[in-house]
Amino acid sequence: MGTEVSPKIDPSRVMEHEHYELEGVDISGHWNRMFEQRVIFDYDIEQLDRVTALDGGESMGWCYQCSQCTAVCPVDHVGDYGPRKIYRKLQVGMDFFTSDDLWLCTTCANCLRVCPKEVDMLQIIPAARKEAVLEGAVPSELQEVFEKTARYGNPLGKNPKRRVAWTKGLDVEVPIIADLDRKVDVLWWVSDYPSYHPRGMEASRSLARVLTHLGVDFAILGAEERHDGDSMLRAGEEGLFEMLADQNIETLNKYEFDLLLTTDPHAYNAFLHEYPQRGGTYKVEHYSTYLAERIEELGLSHDVGGRVTFHDPCYLGRQNGVYDEPRALIEALPGVELVEMWRNRQNGYCCGGGGGGMWLDGLAAENQSMRLSEKRVLEAVETGADTLCVVCPYEVSRFEDAVKSTNNDGALVVRDISELLATALGLATN
Amino acid sequence: MRSDRVVVVGAGPAGLEAARLAAELGSPVTLVEKNEVAGGMPIHAHYATLTHHFRSAEGAMREMIDAVTSNELVEIRTGTEITSVSGSVGEFTITVASNGTTEVVEAGAIILATGFQHFDPSRETQQYQYYEFPDVITIVDAEKMLKEENFVTPTTGKPPERVAFIQCVGSRDRQIGNEYCSKVCCGISSKQAIEIRKMVPNARVFIFYIDMRMYGYWENEIYWPAQEEYKVNYVKGIITEILSKNGRLVIRGEDTTMGRPMEIPIDIAILSVGMEPSAGTRTMAKILGLTSNKYGFIETDRDILDTVTTTVPGVYAAGAATGPADLDDSIASAGAAAAKAVSLLRTTAVTV
Repeated sequence: MGTEVSPKIDPSRVMEHEHYELEGVDISGHWNRMFEQRVIFDYDIEQLDRVTALDGGESMGWCYQCSQCTAVCPVDHVGDYGPRKIYRKLQVGMDFFTSDDLWLCTTCANCLRVCPKEVDMLQIIPAARKEAVLEGAVPSELQEVFEKTARYGNPLGKNPKRRVAWTKGLDVEVPIIADLDRKVDVLWWVSDYPSYHPRGMEASRSLARVLTHLGVDFAILGAEERHDGDSMLRAGEEGLFEMLADQNIETLNKYEFDLLLTTDPHAYNAFLHEYPQRGGTYKVEHYSTYLAERIEELGLSHDVGGRVTFHDPCYLGRQNGVYDEPRALIEALPGVELVEMWRNRQNGYCCGGGGGGMWLDGLAAENQSMRLSEKRVLEAVETGADTLCVVCPYEVSRFEDAVKSTNNDGALVVRDISELLATALGLATN
Repeated sequence: MRSDRVVVVGAGPAGLEAARLAAELGSPVTLVEKNEVAGGMPIHAHYATLTHHFRSAEGAMREMIDAVTSNELVEIRTGTEITSVSGSVGEFTITVASNGTTEVVEAGAIILATGFQHFDPSRETQQYQYYEFPDVITIVDAEKMLKEENFVTPTTGKPPERVAFIQCVGSRDRQIGNEYCSKVCCGISSKQAIEIRKMVPNARVFIFYIDMRMYGYWENEIYWPAQEEYKVNYVKGIITEILSKNGRLVIRGEDTTMGRPMEIPIDIAILSVGMEPSAGTRTMAKILGLTSNKYGFIETDRDILDTVTTTVPGVYAAGAATGPADLDDSIASAGAAAAKAVSLLRTTAVTV
């Protein structure tokens, strides 16, 4: 129909200045993008149909444009995004599968929380990304991470044998479960960033000291541990997730333990909701809740002091309902005042690392005025806090980078809760 | 002379229900209908199905007609018009004309159920070139095609590939003089959109709207299924004009949530026309000396606790004679009017 009018925007008619300043505001790149053709000449519904036809994509077609999602979409705060807009763009013919919009969602779940129609981006986004993955239309930075993860079992592309490097020279013992040859009470699922990233390693050493202080009978998998796969699944690499999950389940099934303790909320989410579907059912707990149950036993006695604000990880808070426990830990720190950012708990602002966002920094930079982590750090600074406390290993590095890039070095430090607890116990934190 | 008879004017849904209930309560009823056939707008305008239950209009009206014809207290006079009324509450003298002959009917109370007419898109403005482009039709025309189970583009006789509903035609318009919302058009368009999608599965159906007003259960029974199951495309932004471009109908307006102008080729544009008082409603108001509002609908006691009592004692109004109404509203107000009329006659009978 309508061959006399073109339904598509002719790319040659798109005007975009690489560098452009308007009344003192830098609107370089796509911010000044203009189209000669403003008129919508057609509604190419095929594009919307392609998404709603996907298993998990049905609810994309349910949007009635109330726009509640836009107000809470973390990406829209720094760009032009949101489920409502995706719906409309699909209606006017956007090819979602080759669009940047496909990759900007961090699966933070705040849109679903407020959506009266239950348009479920947590289903839609992975389903649509899965198609793009099958077609090989994945941003190269993410594709590299997929490949590294497939090859090395971690998104950093590090040698699996170096997973235990953080335990070397540590003042407490961190046993490898294979070496113990016995059942342990707690198998600690350390995860990738706490094993390899310099700041993650520091947090891991603190947590090891805290667990030892509590007299917990724990061990780690060491080189046998692989990436939990949860973020790969949200990023559309279902095959990679399945491979990782199956390998991890096989490994876990070799050992006896009462509790699987995770550092990473994404791993916690995977063990809670995804692994059981593949035959891996474990009693799992996030370290923040595990420690919150043992506040008395901890006997926090050393003054920590200061104003601490807390960032709710999406996959611990909104996705799994844990809000109080990390706060209970902070409030138990001697001399510490807990101050909340204006968006907290159910409405916590996403750090930008979820749903593959951890590995899409280039794409985010192209499409957003700032990183989500930077926006969040500015909110933390606004509270007057001197410390931003986190309980997700994606966040220490993200927020520390954001502290630097927003020129807040010296104004705010980022600390994992285990580091603060170690301080309160008079233990080392390096 | 005092009469315990109730005269109901108009044998559409409201009139039929008022007649049925008044008779059931024991009053003799004369049901006057100017058309040769009872059933009102659902029959005369060839409705396919009723909003919101998708029930066959003919089946539902047949059921209503049967309910009054089977009651011997009801006398139905079709092909009959009221020419004058004199007297007052308890003793109205009503002159009726049928085939050139006139007769007098005595009644204690009158219930007006004279209904509405569909807005004519040619009135005052040549809106959307309704009389110029054969493929610009109204929801009334569409309903007829749906009833005939032959939904086609008028100029080609072929099933359309792309259909656009334009909402609020003749409603919510100061220039036209109809400032009110006609209340039912959003639901009817959405109902028709579902039916078109069922009948012509390849057709793309759009509804261009200012606000979707799908009150109560219409939201979950019509609006949501239309969008979610039948993939009807709702676009916020009303169409300003319909033009012909290279022999093709093009609708022009703004896609407001995109903030962009739109110019979309279409096969059929369906004007979602609203309600206006019918000629019968205007005539009866004049004959009875009733107060009408500025739009010509009969004014009832403006207290929201009484939606059927008019300014003339003994005269009640039900259904769309008092303003835009859906079927549920009409049946409910008809019941209220019948109960009030019968109750009034019993009370006056005792006191006299």
